[in-house]
Amino acid sequence: AAYSTYEHLSLLKALGKPEGSLPLDIVYESVLALILGLFGASLNSPPLNDITWASEMKKRTIDGMDSRLGFAQYKSRGKLLFANPHQGKE
Amino acid sequence: MSLQFALEQLATHRTKNTRASQDVFRNGLLVLQKKGLKKLGDDGWTFLEQLTLASIDVGRLDVADQCLQLIADKFPNSPRVDCLTGIRMEATEPPEIALKYYADILEADSANAAIWKRRISVLKRIGKVEKAVNELVQFLDTFYTDVEGWLELADIYASCSQYDHSLQALTHVLLLTPQNPFYMLQAAETAYTAEDFPLAIKMFLTVVDMTDGDDSEQLLQESTPLGLTVRAWFGVKLCARRIVQNTNMKSASNTSSPKKLELLDELATERLRVAYSSSGQKGEIAQGRQEVFAWVATPLS
Repeated sequence: AAYSTYEHLSLLKALGKPEGSLPLDIVYESVLALILGLFGASLNSPPLNDITWASEMKKRTIDGMDSRLGFAQYKSRGKLLFANPHQGKE
Repeated sequence: MSLQFALEQLATHRTKNTRASQDVFRNGLLVLQKKGLKKLGDDGWTFLEQLTLASIDVGRLDVADQCLQLIADKFPNSPRVDCLTGIRMEATEPPEIALKYYADILEADSANAAIWKRRISVLKRIGKVEKAVNELVQFLDTFYTDVEGWLELADIYASCSQYDHSLQALTHVLLLTPQNPFYMLQAAETAYTAEDFPLAIKMFLTVVDMTDGDDSEQLLQESTPLGLTVRAWFGVKLCARRIVQNTNMKSASNTSSPKKLELLDELATERLRVAYSSSGQKGEIAQGRQEVFAWVATPLS
């Protein structure tokens, strides 16, 4: 609809008559496109979340809340536990 | 496992602040192998940061170095990159070198919160707990609203068994995040350990209110306590017992003890029975049900 509007306006400018309202069928086309777009966007949206704090807190865990990632220790036993066994000393 | 699923998992870990390094590492490697980095666009840099930290945690320093090189090439003078370089240094070099690196950065810019936090965590790791606490208190004087910092202070005090100081730090956390039941539960349990039973029982009941309070349509008998609420009801029962046993004990925070302790105890018993009676998601009975039933049945005094 936007493309046909643009094309019509440029045609009008070419004919030397830039004023005047849009022809009616282009108006109908753009309104129809708006309605279809609204339906598509609202039906395609991701599932809605609750707005209360309590419902959000039900989804969190203590480990997530207490993780204190700014202070986390990165020198842990992870290097020994998870490293590739073939890379270590044999 | 598809690329989309891996990206969703990584985004979930970012929002929920969990430290699931092995999971992040596995998903992150998958994203890198399937060339998902271009798909992420600008989000790709936070993903690379997340993957760097997870690979350092898991011990795969080769992957960490690759990611760090990519980030450092793109953002040469960024404080966040300095922080990541410091963490990488902490993982392999001796702690004095990391401390010197952080001290240099802090001299240049003394308000760099992330670097200050890393310095405090290195001091805590090498055992200089008093120095770490002093620096942390200074940090919290400057950055009062840093919830992580207050939680870390509470944790350090609790690990040294100074539970009343830990409780003081947690009250600041409660001021900053009043709607969070997890921190209220931590404060309640710290108050219980500090032997301030009236305060602890009030906090446990507040946790119950916060987590279960919006079931206003359902009758009380029909709703089952889950998760934090069960832990809070256990706390209420423990506190009620201790208050009855030590009737003339003074509360350190001058909190008055609740008047109808027997009724509270009965309510806690009933809620715990309901929590452990309902069948779980797969229709099985909760583990430990018999022990819980036996324990809650013992009389109050």
